[in-house]
Amino acid sequence: MSAIDDLAAELARLPGIGRKTAMRLTYHLLKQPAEQNRRLAVAIADLSERIQPCARCFNLAEGELCAVCRDPRRDASVVCVVEEPADIAAVERAGEYRGTYHVLGGRLAPIEGIGPEQLTAGALSRRVADGTIREVILATNPSLEGEATALYVQRQLADTGVRVTRIARGLPVGGDLEFADGVTIAQALQARREMA
Amino acid sequence: MAACVRVASLVVRDYRNLASVALEVPPEGLVLVGDNGQGKTNLLEAVYVLQLLRSVRGARDADCVRFGEAGWYVEARGAFARARTVAVGYDVRRRRKLVRVDGAEVPRLADAAGHLPSVYLSPDDQRLAGGGPAERRRFLDVTLGLASRAYLASLAAYRHALAQRNAALRLARRPGDALEAAAVWEPMLARHGAALWRGRADWVAGQATAFAAHCAAIGERVPVTMALRTPGAAEGRTDAESLEAALARQRPHDVRRGLTQAGPHRDDLALALEGRDLRVVGSAGQQRTAAFALRLLEAATLRAACGAAPVLLLDDPFAELDDSRAARILALLDAGGLGQVLLAVPRAGDVPPTLSSLARRTIRDGAVT
Ligand SMILES: [Zn+2]
Repeated sequence: MSAIDDLAAELARLPGIGRKTAMRLTYHLLKQPAEQNRRLAVAIADLSERIQPCARCFNLAEGELCAVCRDPRRDASVVCVVEEPADIAAVERAGEYRGTYHVLGGRLAPIEGIGPEQLTAGALSRRVADGTIREVILATNPSLEGEATALYVQRQLADTGVRVTRIARGLPVGGDLEFADGVTIAQALQARREMA
Repeated sequence: MAACVRVASLVVRDYRNLASVALEVPPEGLVLVGDNGQGKTNLLEAVYVLQLLRSVRGARDADCVRFGEAGWYVEARGAFARARTVAVGYDVRRRRKLVRVDGAEVPRLADAAGHLPSVYLSPDDQRLAGGGPAERRRFLDVTLGLASRAYLASLAAYRHALAQRNAALRLARRPGDALEAAAVWEPMLARHGAALWRGRADWVAGQATAFAAHCAAIGERVPVTMALRTPGAAEGRTDAESLEAALARQRPHDVRRGLTQAGPHRDDLALALEGRDLRVVGSAGQQRTAAFALRLLEAATLRAACGAAPVLLLDDPFAELDDSRAARILALLDAGGLGQVLLAVPRAGDVPPTLSSLARRTIRDGAVT
């Protein structure tokens, strides 16, 4: 019985899946043809092997650089700073933005043990030090943590002379960028402001 | 809007020793008579849950579940501040609380508080006047948070940012890094902290005269006063700019101690007897009088905020008082329009004459008859 329990236990660790759902999925997989299960297993294994952080912006990438960083039509002099790769997908859906990105890998939350060292803020400073970037747009979530993180990045970049802006609060307070609609994100990008 | 909040009927399931209680409540209220440990306090506590969504005694939700059960449920129907039905349920296994207002689930708990305004008076209230500053800060925060959504929002943001800054002070390996990491929480601490100070100072200024008058009216001959003390404000300045400057100034010191010094989290609502600390020089009776006076102010504040007198949950609060003192307190409550009363007493003879016309029910082993 342990193969069933092992899989159910692994599935139950996924977000939004409780113990009951995990068992139901496990029994469903048991009924599928073995070949189909093998394809699923390979796809999952490939995910972590083929997808890795982009060497420049920490977006998800197949290969060294992500699709945005490889695209010559993107304006590499503008960098939009987000918390997670999922936020990039949200901004891309809005279809307004032609610059590049930087993924921090989270937001400051010392209670959870997440300080500046756990984020890629240092790598962003090094990117800016290269001198090719003229504007950094801070698009962290409008939560307390997102605001603190934006302030931290802004202060890290204060001496570099780069223009630092913050997306406007067209976004719902307490909401996540990932789940905002395209119009809201487009407006928020339009109304970005200088950080004092 | 109703002139007072009225519970018409009450359902309680598996809350502490109350397995299943269904109770009709007359408009003017009810007396619950029962020996200690039979469940009368639990029933009042359950009604209070419909206001603050948690125990008035500070118990954890899981600890309020009747032994061996999967959760608890409290529901009231009647005329409330903005609704006709309020229900709160707690599920042990999912560790989740669900609030329904007029049948619809409230997605954010922060939006769900305050639907059934009530004030809880018990002999434990002596702690409010005789205990540490945290007791009175909690009193201020509950009263002002229920009266003002803006205060409640600032309180939640302030507590959260304070916990993050304190964690940041301790998280970094090098002190220099801790300074930078702590600093980013200061603008929001300053903004929300100043809002709390404004709310508290305005309330104390507006109620100080009434507080002294209540203490005198209840029967205290020595003048009793209250004032907001702000040890976390540099030179007494409580505006956002001054607080942000104080946080920055004390940052190196805070890193060494691992704790934030400046801010309203160190406030005290100082009570004094002829200018001397009531906690030190006050008798038990004087402290109880001051606590009653604070509860009267709480009732008046809720009444002003929601336009209706809150339900009075009286957990045998007059136990050690003579009838005349109890009558004076009830008269003071009545002066603002006495709300519906739920009074719990051990014996029928303990009902103060003013409330002797209320209907009576008996509570025994968690069952009401
Ligand atoms: Zn990239």
